[in-house]
Amino acid sequence: MLLLLPLAITWFGAVALAPFDGRRRAVGAVAVGVMVAAFIALVRLGIEVWTSGPVEMVAGDWPAGIGIRLRADALGIAFALISLGVLLAALAYEVLGGVHERSLPSLVLFMSTGLTGVFLTADIFNFYVFFEIAMISSFVLATYGAQVGHLRAALTFMVVNLLGSVVFLAGVASLYHVTGTLDMMGVADRVDGAPAGSVLLIAVLIFVAFGLKLGLFPFHSWVPLVYRDTWPAVAAMLSAALANIGSYGLLRFGAGLMPRELSLTAGGLIVIGSLSIIYGAVQAISPRTASEVIAWSSIGQVGYILVALGVGGPVGLAAAVLYSIINSLNKLVLFLAVGLRGWLVGAAFALAAFSVAGVPPSAGFFGKVAIFRAGADADSTALLALVFVGGALSLIYLFRIYQRDYWARNHATPPSPLGARVLVLALACGIVFIGLWPEPLLALSASAAAALTGGGS
Amino acid sequence: MILGLALVISILFGCGAFLLLKRDLIRMAGGVILISNAANLFIVAAGLSRGREPIYPLPPGERISDPVVQALVLTAIVIGFGTVAVLLGLIYRTYTARIARAVDQGEETEGTPVSMPPEDRVAD
Amino acid sequence: MSMSTILTKVISRLIFLPTFVTAVAILVKGYFGAGDGFSAGVIAGTGVVIQFLAFGPRELFARYPSLRRAPLLAWSGLLLGLATAFAPVLWGDPIMTHYPRPGEEVPHLGLLAFHTAVLFDAAVFLLVFGMIVSVLGAIGNRYGSEGVDS
Repeated sequence: MLLLLPLAITWFGAVALAPFDGRRRAVGAVAVGVMVAAFIALVRLGIEVWTSGPVEMVAGDWPAGIGIRLRADALGIAFALISLGVLLAALAYEVLGGVHERSLPSLVLFMSTGLTGVFLTADIFNFYVFFEIAMISSFVLATYGAQVGHLRAALTFMVVNLLGSVVFLAGVASLYHVTGTLDMMGVADRVDGAPAGSVLLIAVLIFVAFGLKLGLFPFHSWVPLVYRDTWPAVAAMLSAALANIGSYGLLRFGAGLMPRELSLTAGGLIVIGSLSIIYGAVQAISPRTASEVIAWSSIGQVGYILVALGVGGPVGLAAAVLYSIINSLNKLVLFLAVGLRGWLVGAAFALAAFSVAGVPPSAGFFGKVAIFRAGADADSTALLALVFVGGALSLIYLFRIYQRDYWARNHATPPSPLGARVLVLALACGIVFIGLWPEPLLALSASAAAALTGGGS
Repeated sequence: MILGLALVISILFGCGAFLLLKRDLIRMAGGVILISNAANLFIVAAGLSRGREPIYPLPPGERISDPVVQALVLTAIVIGFGTVAVLLGLIYRTYTARIARAVDQGEETEGTPVSMPPEDRVAD
Repeated sequence: MSMSTILTKVISRLIFLPTFVTAVAILVKGYFGAGDGFSAGVIAGTGVVIQFLAFGPRELFARYPSLRRAPLLAWSGLLLGLATAFAPVLWGDPIMTHYPRPGEEVPHLGLLAFHTAVLFDAAVFLLVFGMIVSVLGAIGNRYGSEGVDS
């Protein structure tokens, strides 16, 4: 019952709010309330998982290998918390600033449903179904604003992600074919008996699908186009919440289900990740609009996650989880701050920029430390140098935006609504707070990594 | 049987990819439909066995078809249906937005192509 | 290339009701005994689409004004489906548990079985049919009264 509560709250909330006009403040407030309730339910579930171990339920009262199993473990809870938190913040931001389209609150709730389902399921096809729910909601969300440029970005986003979904579906079907089961724990057990070449091919298919979603180096071309042209709050939702599907998928399918293939391809993953970091950072330095710089920055940041995944082991996996969470927070604040003008916004942007660069006392510092430790664990000086170089480059390109948009203040543009500005500043202070007291987050990522390596899936 | 399915899947995927790269958005949607159907056929090909229908009472000693794959394909078809509906709606919205902008700018609206709008900076 | 010749108009009008009968038959009893809500919804939606193509949106909605309520139909289908899936959780059973449980007697009225799976399929039927007709209503206003002109 507790396992289903967040999912039920967001799902019924989304359906209940769909017929109403989301532009009215009352409807927006109800949507924010529903998301807060779902977040609290998720925290309660997280406490249950933390104290007594993973919570499971098999749908339809069927036996475990036959029915669809829903499972909440530390990894799923960590990602669900950050994704739901990001969506809650972005929705609150948009409601405070005034909603432009009637379907926004309902769409954000549908996306929360999809994301919650993705992180709390232990069946590979059910994962695909919730993944598609989240994606379709995001396709419609990307058109928010409805100027022609927004629609163009939405079309590009949609077609690229459709291709990713098709590749992922092929991977899931192949995984079923070689293991004979759809249950994640069953797959993890049986994958060693499958022909090694087939499993490697499946691993590559799944890596391509999730790499496309994350915006990793060879599959990155859609990212700047889409993030440049979408509405800031929607860009925050897409970048911070949806990219989590990519990280979670790589962690769950890579480290959880196919660890042998992960260690085989680890070198390649580290190379691709490093290329992402360098390419993203270098491209971000060229003169561009603020949203585009942040888009290139996210290409770079997900490279760190891939590097940590490639290093592997408990240290590397914990670093990957920690970095995903902190990256989501950073991107949320950056994108939201770009859309605002006013007195407090520059400070918020600067705090988030420090976090991306890894300057203490922000949360990003601990993210960089975790990657650094993973690199030291792998005895690789190149990796350590990469962490420093990446951090320095991100300082450069983010403070160029700060200098252009906030330092040389343009008094002609009116300041944005106070509520939105206070929200963004509060989030930025949250980043600093985590930087000063990182122990809970570090413990959460360590147990999430343990859930992967210890109990199979 | 597998070879035949593989050939059909690859032909579908190839035609879909060719259409996907066209300028006309309706053709692009057609490409998306073909590719998604190729993936559905792929799921059918991933079935574990082929034989009689999987309904009790089972005929003894005969191979039975894998029912899980049927359920997977049905779900995938429904999801593809929903996705294509959203894509077509988005294409329609793009078309009407271009018509509206052409009207605002006093241009001719007859014969506006249903294609990707040209790149221009969105005012922040 | 107008599609509203006298032949298409007559045939469309004649097959409208049989389309719905076929859809309900598939919903309840499928092709070989198991029902399916999705194909039933698609067939019913196709029936409406044929009318739309032959007569155009204005005449279609003038003749069957209840079709304007299609978004509501889709919404209620979704709500019914969710309720059927989540209701067993209220009394402790896992999600999507169907009653009567496997092995128990299923009450019948002729060929119609009173089973929660039929309720769920009916919800899917409403959702799909409502969606197709809503899309017709949303984009149909673009085109003129005399059918769809290329």
